[in-house]
Amino acid sequence: MLHKDEAIVLFKRAYGESDKIIRLFTLTSGKIAAIAKGASKSQKRFANTLEPFNHIRVEYFEKFGKGLVRIDNADIVETNSGIERSLRRASTAAFFTEFADRLTKDRERNIDLFHTLKEVLLFTKQRELSYMDILRYELKMLETLGYMPNFTACVYCGKNVKEEMKVCFSRERGGILCSACSSPLPHRVYSAGTIPGIARIGNNHHRSAFEVHDKEGLPYMQDTGDVKRFEREAREIMEGFISFHLDVEFKSYRILKSLMG
Amino acid sequence: MYYPEPIERLIENMTRLPGIGRKTATRLAFFLLNAKESYVSELSHSLLDIKDKIKLCSVCFNITDVDPCRICTDEKRDQSTVCVVEESSHMMVLESASPGVYRYHILHGVINPIEGIGPDEVRIKELKERIEREGIREVIIATNPNIEGNTTAHYIGELLKHLDVKISRIASGVPVGGDIVYIDPLTIKSSIENRKDI
Repeated sequence: MLHKDEAIVLFKRAYGESDKIIRLFTLTSGKIAAIAKGASKSQKRFANTLEPFNHIRVEYFEKFGKGLVRIDNADIVETNSGIERSLRRASTAAFFTEFADRLTKDRERNIDLFHTLKEVLLFTKQRELSYMDILRYELKMLETLGYMPNFTACVYCGKNVKEEMKVCFSRERGGILCSACSSPLPHRVYSAGTIPGIARIGNNHHRSAFEVHDKEGLPYMQDTGDVKRFEREAREIMEGFISFHLDVEFKSYRILKSLMG
Repeated sequence: MYYPEPIERLIENMTRLPGIGRKTATRLAFFLLNAKESYVSELSHSLLDIKDKIKLCSVCFNITDVDPCRICTDEKRDQSTVCVVEESSHMMVLESASPGVYRYHILHGVINPIEGIGPDEVRIKELKERIEREGIREVIIATNPNIEGNTTAHYIGELLKHLDVKISRIASGVPVGGDIVYIDPLTIKSSIENRKDI
């Protein structure tokens, strides 16, 4: 059966003499693995299209019961041009494509994730993303995939926790703990403002991570030291959560992390 | 089917070669069985030699049987220019196009964050050391014009920009003898951006 779809190229690998194995995240069918016959030799058929981070229009043939679909035609909607301009851009793009690749199952349709991935790749082409941007998209993808940590209520008793009291995070339980529940349960204590800051970034109020109001009893994040501490703690929370709950280590994250300092 | 143990072992070992299945391995094994002893001896010695004698050149990291390799010790080649390539096989292609002109530096891979390959996993640090040590004046980056090759080229450009060295990238565009009608938009764009005066 012949399908026509839009897709983002997640991964490519040479296969045999001149074929390529490609993983695509398609708009309507989710992640699919495909083979592009003769892609390494024929510059006419697939010239530049099956490169990672490209947004393409693709025609593929699917045979019932076969794992790999066969790509018959592909043309570019949006190229990856711009991502190669720095290692940070390339690592950021690789991190998000790997994120989508490894946290989804084959044929799991997720239109929101497709659009989020498309958006973050577009931004990465234009500029180097700050850690705040990376965190925002990481949270957005987790939410889309249904893995969002709980930053609102205590994950043990379910009570809402006041902003200024959101300091305990349980990696194992995947969210915050109130002061009453925190004593018997394993957790880590973070600076006031870190957890509300992550939650705000997750809610897309991106800039307000630095504008935590004193009326809420929280310190301002106004100097570089505060920002650095926030980034360090946010990274620790996110890394711990992802490795414990999703049990994945992203190859590209190691490089991205070394660039973020 | 039963074969005597030495033949069976040879078949098993040959099926580990790329593109060789059991049928082909069996045919090859019987060919060797019937071949002259001098040929089989020569073949086995050449197999052992590639493991014993082939190593990486300590200057350019090309595969070689002498260190430094013959290209690095060739006085006739331009000593001030080095051509950076991904693999030894790419160097051979460039060398066949311009024999005896350039010296090379083989990276043994390209930066590919999706596969977890960063700058430390390829021979970029050694390239910088070599440029400083040998006083090279021009670096031609001849990595593939794909996302990994371009990222590597930009990274090298960034790394070397404070050195007094000219850095250039091989052009990409319409191939010699090509037809513009069949060229994709990205290649056309690149060829227009990289146009040259006539």
